[in-house]
Amino acid sequence: MKLSPLLRGIGGLLVFVLAWEFLIQSGMIRFQYLPPPSAIAIAFNELIATPTMYAEMMHTIGAALGSWVIAAMIGIVLGAALGLSKSLRTYTMTSIEVLRPLPPVALIPVALLMFGFSLKTELFVIAIPAIWPILVGTMGGVLSTSTRLREVARSLKLHRSEILFKILIPAAAPSVLVGCRLSMSLSLVLAIVVEMIGNPEGLGYAVVREAQALNPNLMFAYIILIGLLGVLFNHFLVVASKILLPGEFRRPNSLMGR
Amino acid sequence: MVPIFELEDVSLSYELAGGARNVLRNISFTVSDGEILTFCGASGTGKTSLLRIMAGLTRQTGGTANFRGAPIDGPANDVAIVFQDYSNALLQWRTVGRNVALGIERTLKGTELKDRVMDALRLVGLEKNVNDYPWQLSGGMQQRVQIARALALKPSVLLMDEPFAALDAMTKASLQDELLNIRDKTGANIVFITHDIEEAVYLGDRVAVLRGTPSTVEQLFDIALPKPRNQITTRELPEFLALRHQIHDAIGGHS
Repeated sequence: MKLSPLLRGIGGLLVFVLAWEFLIQSGMIRFQYLPPPSAIAIAFNELIATPTMYAEMMHTIGAALGSWVIAAMIGIVLGAALGLSKSLRTYTMTSIEVLRPLPPVALIPVALLMFGFSLKTELFVIAIPAIWPILVGTMGGVLSTSTRLREVARSLKLHRSEILFKILIPAAAPSVLVGCRLSMSLSLVLAIVVEMIGNPEGLGYAVVREAQALNPNLMFAYIILIGLLGVLFNHFLVVASKILLPGEFRRPNSLMGR
Repeated sequence: MVPIFELEDVSLSYELAGGARNVLRNISFTVSDGEILTFCGASGTGKTSLLRIMAGLTRQTGGTANFRGAPIDGPANDVAIVFQDYSNALLQWRTVGRNVALGIERTLKGTELKDRVMDALRLVGLEKNVNDYPWQLSGGMQQRVQIARALALKPSVLLMDEPFAALDAMTKASLQDELLNIRDKTGANIVFITHDIEEAVYLGDRVAVLRGTPSTVEQLFDIALPKPRNQITTRELPEFLALRHQIHDAIGGHS
């Protein structure tokens, strides 16, 4: 019998969960606060019936997606400008290379002092690091557009706007979208982190809160919820890429993968 | 009558870190209406550089290069270029049809655009592949797409830079015949660069041999072979073989 790759993947996950259940139920591993999957499943069921969870989830989604949109707008515009202008690169690349490796967590105290416990703090801490993958992807995409394509455009007498919209932007689009995908997972991670140790709201704070309340079942239920959100976010961008770049996506050796 | 191209005493040198590098010197020739001029030479003899000057993509550093009596200043309107590296020259995210439309979609719309694209594709035998993407096609088909894109402009001149060099012998032969066919149908002038001596003789009305560093036109051969040419019989003619021999010597080949 042939199983689809998705079913096989789920099968693998099932084996992992069953092993976890078995190891705990049989007493082979014992931690006071490590519940078996069955207990987490029950807690998860209760969690999705809890109205306050939806407010927390919307808060985290809003912070992650809002910052991601801000980062994408800044990253694409700045990245395209940097890809097109050599003098702009000369003047700004040093600053960018200094800022880029800065651990995002280091921004949290800065943001707290500037914006206090607020959504602004979250947006600041998430958006700035989320700019870099998009900026670098866009700049790289524009820069690596082959000189041959530029010559083709010249020899076909395309106008400047045509070169931008028909050659440079589509040629850069795959690496822009790869940058956007990296940024999106980074946004969710940072939203959780900043809610844990910065602004006490949303799903990140909920995990900490349940842990401090010695409520591991619910804590794990929240963690699973966050994991599902991550899968959903990634899936959203994969689907968006397929719609935006129908040809690119089917091309072998494509940056977009499958 | 004004020649299509008229180059006089053209030279080209690049400024490099280690000093100037001279590529071309004292290049003089004309291309007159209706002919196929092929350039032949060993690699590194500046064939591509010369074509780029004619295409308006590179400016010569000395001498004059005129297109229809006026100095070449950037790509001219009815000159189309076909590059050797078809996979870089095609827009991988556009279908075959939209690649062919690239140069004409600003000025033509609707059915007029569609007809022109289909006409160009028919000339290269790809009308069935209009909705394919370039990466779904073989190398020879991709090069045909590039040729169709050039033809869609209805150019009076086709500049071709070793367009068949990366293709296998069979594909190459059939594209050579298609090119001669296209010339007969469209009346386009063709300047064709190749390092393949037989290809130069088979396609050309004249063959110019480039030689030396910096290179110059070593010799010009008139190819008075009967037309239409035929892959088997033309290549068996004693004149063909004699020309092949002479050009081989002019290039400075050893074998």
